Amino acid sequence: MFLLLPFDSLVVNLLGISITVLFTLLLVFIIVPAIFGVSFGIRKVYMKTLLKIFQWATLRIERGAKEKNHPLYKPYVNGIIAKEPTSLEEEIKEIRRSGSGKALDTPEFELSDIFYFCRKGIETIMDDEVTKRFSAEELESWNLLSRTNYNFQYISLRLTVLWGLGVLIRYCFLLPLRIALAFTGISLLVTGTTVVGYLPNGRCKEFLSKHVHLMCYRICVRALTAIITYHDRENRPRNGGICVANHTSPIDVIILASDGYYAMVGQIHGGLMGVIQRAMVKACPHVWFERSEVKDRHLVAKRLTEHVQDKSKLPILIFPEGTCINNTSVMMFKKGSFEIGATVYPVAIKYDPQFGDAFWNSSKYGMVTYLLRMMSSWAIVCSVWYLPPMTRQPEEDAVQFANRVKSAIARQGGLVDLLWDGGLKREKVKDTFKEEQQKLYSKMIVGNHEDRSRS
Amino acid sequence: LPCAQGAHPPVTSLFPPPTVTSEQIEHLHRRFKQLSQDQLTIRKENFDSIPDLEFNPIRGKIVHAFFDKRNLRQESDGLADEINFEDFLTIMSYFRPIEMNMDEEQLDRFRKEKLKFLFHMYDSDHDGKITLQEYRNVVEELLSGNPHLEKESARSIADGAMMEAASICVGQMGPDQVYEGITFEDFLKMWQGIDIETKMHVRFLNMETIAHCY
Repeated sequence: MFLLLPFDSLVVNLLGISITVLFTLLLVFIIVPAIFGVSFGIRKVYMKTLLKIFQWATLRIERGAKEKNHPLYKPYVNGIIAKEPTSLEEEIKEIRRSGSGKALDTPEFELSDIFYFCRKGIETIMDDEVTKRFSAEELESWNLLSRTNYNFQYISLRLTVLWGLGVLIRYCFLLPLRIALAFTGISLLVTGTTVVGYLPNGRCKEFLSKHVHLMCYRICVRALTAIITYHDRENRPRNGGICVANHTSPIDVIILASDGYYAMVGQIHGGLMGVIQRAMVKACPHVWFERSEVKDRHLVAKRLTEHVQDKSKLPILIFPEGTCINNTSVMMFKKGSFEIGATVYPVAIKYDPQFGDAFWNSSKYGMVTYLLRMMSSWAIVCSVWYLPPMTRQPEEDAVQFANRVKSAIARQGGLVDLLWDGGLKREKVKDTFKEEQQKLYSKMIVGNHEDRSRS
Repeated sequence: LPCAQGAHPPVTSLFPPPTVTSEQIEHLHRRFKQLSQDQLTIRKENFDSIPDLEFNPIRGKIVHAFFDKRNLRQESDGLADEINFEDFLTIMSYFRPIEMNMDEEQLDRFRKEKLKFLFHMYDSDHDGKITLQEYRNVVEELLSGNPHLEKESARSIADGAMMEAASICVGQMGPDQVYEGITFEDFLKMWQGIDIETKMHVRFLNMETIAHCY
């Protein structure tokens, strides 16, 4: 017994010392820089090291596959089939010309007209633009996460060991660290904003509120190990404007809010989110709606307009797509925020899926699972571009303005600009869209028929 | 951990030359799983999840073609309720591009197969003939998007086209001769001169040219 005691206390001492060291490291290297907004550059070095390891891992897989003489599965971003770029009219003309020799201006239906639609239909069934935007982007090289591996059977022993090491580091070291940071960040946010809320309104309160918000968001950024590169910061949104951005995950809010002070817009939730929201609004005039108010579009528009018209109020942060898209494209922007008449500051956010896929597939994962997946990835790497402000021109309506902003964001972020509605994730296509192609074809056949019968 | 990812479905004698590469089959398999939502078979409802397909006026006929037992090369007749991956590939095989090394006989057989697929799209009651009513159905579907078009106009267009078809196939008819419908041989006659085999295909993107340079 006596021999064990000194050993016991040794273990206890060691444990105590290592925890103290960990916390000091935490404080010095992560939290203090977050408070002051400086960075030691540790995350960038981490990122470079990881990239080298991933390249090595991918080469090993390819070598393994070559030895066994199997083809590797390579995902293709541009789709798997070559779509013919010819239009409806051209194709039908061509087929008719080669067949019966009748031109398109004779108003008759040809047996072969069905062919174009048949082929287009089969092409769409094989590969369509929309469905693939709602599942996570496929990577071309492996990033040592089993969730992104499609060529699993080609992994050698060395690679498995490396992967095992990766799992250990991510789950036993990084994950607890990140959870501790997230906890710190959120509790600081709630207590800080509540305390600031008791101050009388004035410049002091605003100043403190801004810095409390910024500090806590920066801690949260480090809790996700998010490595963000901001471009064109001189175009950052100003008071009295609206900031719009493409939406990939709830993390977008943290990324943007850690570099600027925004008024958030959203629905009040219950639970932890609700507590955070209610605390935040004490210090700063965020615009939260009750669930019942969200359905009333006029009420929402009215409140937003009031907020924007006061030039001293903070810029509003809005995600007009309405749902999370997988960051390879930008889908239709809902026109509500573009009708208000304020200056719009577009922001493009592009994530690098190499280090951790930030897309939230809400039909597959709940919020908690999603956050755990985020915190157990290597890192979240993204680029943020602040685009120059845009205003609605007199001859444009809200929809055209929304599309113009959407194209600018898509072009900057290197994303595909789609006309489709993000709501297609859950609903079917509206009937009005269905009839477009049918109208075009029937116009071709019948428009001529009517001319002929008239003459 | 993804354990069954590498398992390829059995594709033994489905494809007499030209062949499809195993990589293309892998891609189609992934697409199948996406459409079937990880089930082993696809039903008609699964095609509802493709928004682009809604644009297509003959969407109903195309989906129908996937479940048509004549296209699935099955002995029996009628419609299947659900199809598995092998059936899916069978339908896709009608849209294979031709290859350089095919001889006359193969080309001719290839062409006939593709045209048979289109014939089955028109012939919805499976009696081997396209009757006037079936022809009208197709024209109405194709022209259904135009709200200004009355049913009468669509019908008269269909009738005009059918008469044209009759004159090609049977020549001049007597006043009391009834044209029963377009048989497959007549159908072939009407497509003479149109190189359907060079147009009715879906090409896979050439994989090598897009390969990543390490």
